[in-house]
Amino acid sequence: MSQEAQARAVGRTGLSVCISLLIFALILALNPLPFLSPVAEPAAVPAWATDPTPVRHPKLAPEYQAGVFTFRCSDCHKLFPPPAQNTTRTVAQHQEILLKHGINTWCLSCHHPDNRDAFVDDRGDEIPWNQPQLLCSKCHGPVYRDWQHGSHGRTNGYWDKTQGEQTRRKCIECHDPHQPPFPPMRPAPGPNTLRMGPQDVAGHGTTKNPLKTAGRAGSKSPPPGDAERGH
Amino acid sequence: MKHAESQKPESSKPEVTRRGFFAQGMAAVAGASAVAAAMSPLRHLTSGDIPTLEEFFQKHYKEMTAEDKEQVFNRIRTAVGKRYRTEVNLADPPPMDGVEFVYGLNLSRCIGCRKCVHACVAENNQSRAPEIQYIRVLEMEKGSIDVETSDHHYDPPLVPNPDKYYMPVQCHQCADPPCVKVCPVEATWQEPDGITVIDYDWCIGCRYCEAACPYWARRFNFTEPEIPADQLNPNMSYLSNRPRQKGVMEKCTYCLHRTRVGRMPACLEVCPTGSRKFGNVLDPDSEVAYILKHKRVYVLKEEVGTIPRFFYYFDERGSRYAEPIAPADVGGDA
Amino acid sequence: MKKYATFLWDCWRLSFVGDWRYHLWMTILTLLALTGLYAYCQQFVYGLVTTGMTDQVSWGLYIANFTYLVGLAAAAAMLVIPVYIYRNMHLHDVVIFGELLAVAVIIMCLLFVMADLGRPDRFMHLLWRFNFPISMLTWDVIALNGYLVLNLHICGYLIYCAYCGRKPSPKFYVPFVFVAIVWAVSIHTVTAFLYVGLGGRPFWNSAIIAPRFLASAFAAGPAFIILTLQIVRRVTSHQVSDDALLTLRRIVQVAMIINLFLLVCEVFTEFYTDSAHVASARYLYFGLHGRNALVPWIWTAVAMNVAATSLLVLPASRGLGVLNVACLLAIVAIWIEKGMGLIVPAFVPTPLGEVVEYFPTVHELAICVGIWAFGLLLYTIFVRISVPVLAGELTYEKRFGKPNEAVPGEGVRLP
Repeated sequence: MSQEAQARAVGRTGLSVCISLLIFALILALNPLPFLSPVAEPAAVPAWATDPTPVRHPKLAPEYQAGVFTFRCSDCHKLFPPPAQNTTRTVAQHQEILLKHGINTWCLSCHHPDNRDAFVDDRGDEIPWNQPQLLCSKCHGPVYRDWQHGSHGRTNGYWDKTQGEQTRRKCIECHDPHQPPFPPMRPAPGPNTLRMGPQDVAGHGTTKNPLKTAGRAGSKSPPPGDAERGH
Repeated sequence: MKHAESQKPESSKPEVTRRGFFAQGMAAVAGASAVAAAMSPLRHLTSGDIPTLEEFFQKHYKEMTAEDKEQVFNRIRTAVGKRYRTEVNLADPPPMDGVEFVYGLNLSRCIGCRKCVHACVAENNQSRAPEIQYIRVLEMEKGSIDVETSDHHYDPPLVPNPDKYYMPVQCHQCADPPCVKVCPVEATWQEPDGITVIDYDWCIGCRYCEAACPYWARRFNFTEPEIPADQLNPNMSYLSNRPRQKGVMEKCTYCLHRTRVGRMPACLEVCPTGSRKFGNVLDPDSEVAYILKHKRVYVLKEEVGTIPRFFYYFDERGSRYAEPIAPADVGGDA
Repeated sequence: MKKYATFLWDCWRLSFVGDWRYHLWMTILTLLALTGLYAYCQQFVYGLVTTGMTDQVSWGLYIANFTYLVGLAAAAAMLVIPVYIYRNMHLHDVVIFGELLAVAVIIMCLLFVMADLGRPDRFMHLLWRFNFPISMLTWDVIALNGYLVLNLHICGYLIYCAYCGRKPSPKFYVPFVFVAIVWAVSIHTVTAFLYVGLGGRPFWNSAIIAPRFLASAFAAGPAFIILTLQIVRRVTSHQVSDDALLTLRRIVQVAMIINLFLLVCEVFTEFYTDSAHVASARYLYFGLHGRNALVPWIWTAVAMNVAATSLLVLPASRGLGVLNVACLLAIVAIWIEKGMGLIVPAFVPTPLGEVVEYFPTVHELAICVGIWAFGLLLYTIFVRISVPVLAGELTYEKRFGKPNEAVPGEGVRLP
């Protein structure tokens, strides 16, 4: 190959390299791979999900609301004699109260027979209305002990009492005394993280768990001991 | 990219030098334009994406003097205030003497309502999109403590499901934290009160800590975090809930901006069942000290040896929530 | 000094000289590298959201490629050891191609690490506050950069001496060669320790990972070099004997057998024990909870591993055709095994039992391809420069004698 021809060859190669670079520059400038954000819209978080108030707001006073009127319990009950021991009867009043408190099926197990503005303790003495935990402690000894030490129940405010006020929630701020189990509630929205994809909720359970091997994988029937459930 | 401009033809003869010079110039232009086109996405960079000199040379938190800190904090106050159009109260509460924080969580009582998750997000200014949450609530199979059988995405009309129990997991504030061990730049460390914190301005985003954490407690900002301005919590601290940047790690700090001034963490405040317990374990009269002494305690993944400051505990008997009663008013109508 | 500057300038100019095939090859690599740069700029703007990584699977293709490439770099030692320790002179003339490969590959490793960083602008923090010796990542930074410097020095010195037309003085490079042998083992061991030391990831928390890394590196690396040397001898005037290739074949052969054996050890321990630790391995080999993205990949890798090993133990692989097929199989198999087979499954399921799969995005793939292209570009240039210089076709004397003549010098005949 002559030097001239070689130079031309080099020039041709160079030209094609330049042209391909320029074409490629044009392609890249047109943004051939635009970034499409995989970020999901944020889930709406209901206000109750961040509300720190307790599930119940009981009045810690022996008052009864009837329309616009507020009565002391004793206002009515002083008119009626206390029922005899061990008689259960349908009550005409307080129909909204559904008493489902285990083996405790009698109003006067808790309410003082003579003074309805108070509860009754084991000796028949009065427990003030604003100290319901003393009433509950009659039967629920271990829970009361845990509550006293703070391992049961809600403690809000300041962990460091020297810097601020601490609130110990009382039993009935979470438990309905007439239906004590903690009420079920709707769960707040679940996780929806980046690129999480659809989650197969039923996909779990390849476990050696004895509860799962009793032919109930995937079924919703409760294990023995868990009775029927309300919802 | 240097080699992009490299594709210029070479003149190998003196007599074609002028032509060669022209060809080289043309090749350089072609190469440069190809590189420029490749870098064209950079035009979308906003001013906040490029660190200022001051930000670039900002010192590690532990090396900053009081004046340095004040300067940096003021800069953050201005920047965050401007971005979210609000007055920002940025503090830096120090750890308290004689305090070591411990968390207790009652597995017999938790109903899996996930209120803690969302209270945490609201308090700690996590990104809403993409979603970042420090707490994950696991719906566990009864008869098993294997997290692999758990369901993170349960969404029944009502919780709890009587066949399950619930285990929220968040940072365990380990006494021997693997995340701190692995960080190449010491951007994360353990404070004297036991809280593992991150200097968000120091993190290089290698995500080694995320790989090291046995509790999946660390989160990465894969893109610029998004918080609606009206949802920003203006009470913030440098080491905890100030807004994070793109490309850095974040994690639960036991709400140190609250807890170091004596308050309870946000997840505890919102828990409707009182399953969450927090306090100073060095104080023998604290709730957590009582729990550790008197309750049966379970340490999640104790075998990995990280010595967590987060304990699960049990009551003598589980909650009686399997019994049929009416649902609570709260949450029924959302 | 002026001489050294002339040397660098000549190297720079020499890298543009070649026939149309060379230019085509370099142009394709450049375009791929530019695509990678383009995708990286997008990642720089939007963050790592452009990748398929998530909080659940927080390391992906970048770290996988990084791990594989560390092995490839370490494999340079497999050429050095026979020559400098066992005095096997078949490989003497090709050692430098292994070392040059190490240089190019370590640069790729560093690029992959940079690509993986959420805040590359804070890279300087590594210098300002270095968590050494606690963090294994700092060990890796030292190991990789040290290895880069060692190999740059060795190659640079040898090539520069050839350029100056003088005999290299052993005391300036032989000690470094021996240090580099130990260092090569250490870079891969330290990289394995990155993963092995994490108690929260049972899939990695196994002492066998480091030996497996080395075995697979010493298989994939020499296999890669076998293919490279054949290309070198085809397109350049450099002589590479078949004996050199067959010496390497024996190394690949033994390493593949050990690698396969260690794989069996690992799989047996996981599945026969069948403890909770097996979840990740189950996901990798059989899928978990109906998620099985990695299953086809890993079985492909296993099949290719077995095929490559079988071919290599057969006498037929003394023929270059069969040997090349075996090498290609080994390279791809180990790439899958190290990347998708080792990094990703450790994140599935998460420590909390959630199963989120990882699928790399187009941007992520473009960046990976771009870095590979850039690495090959570098390596091509290294070979392009070193062949004529080492052959004495381009020296300072020749340059100096005819100052007006542009590169290539008189002695250089372009392929």
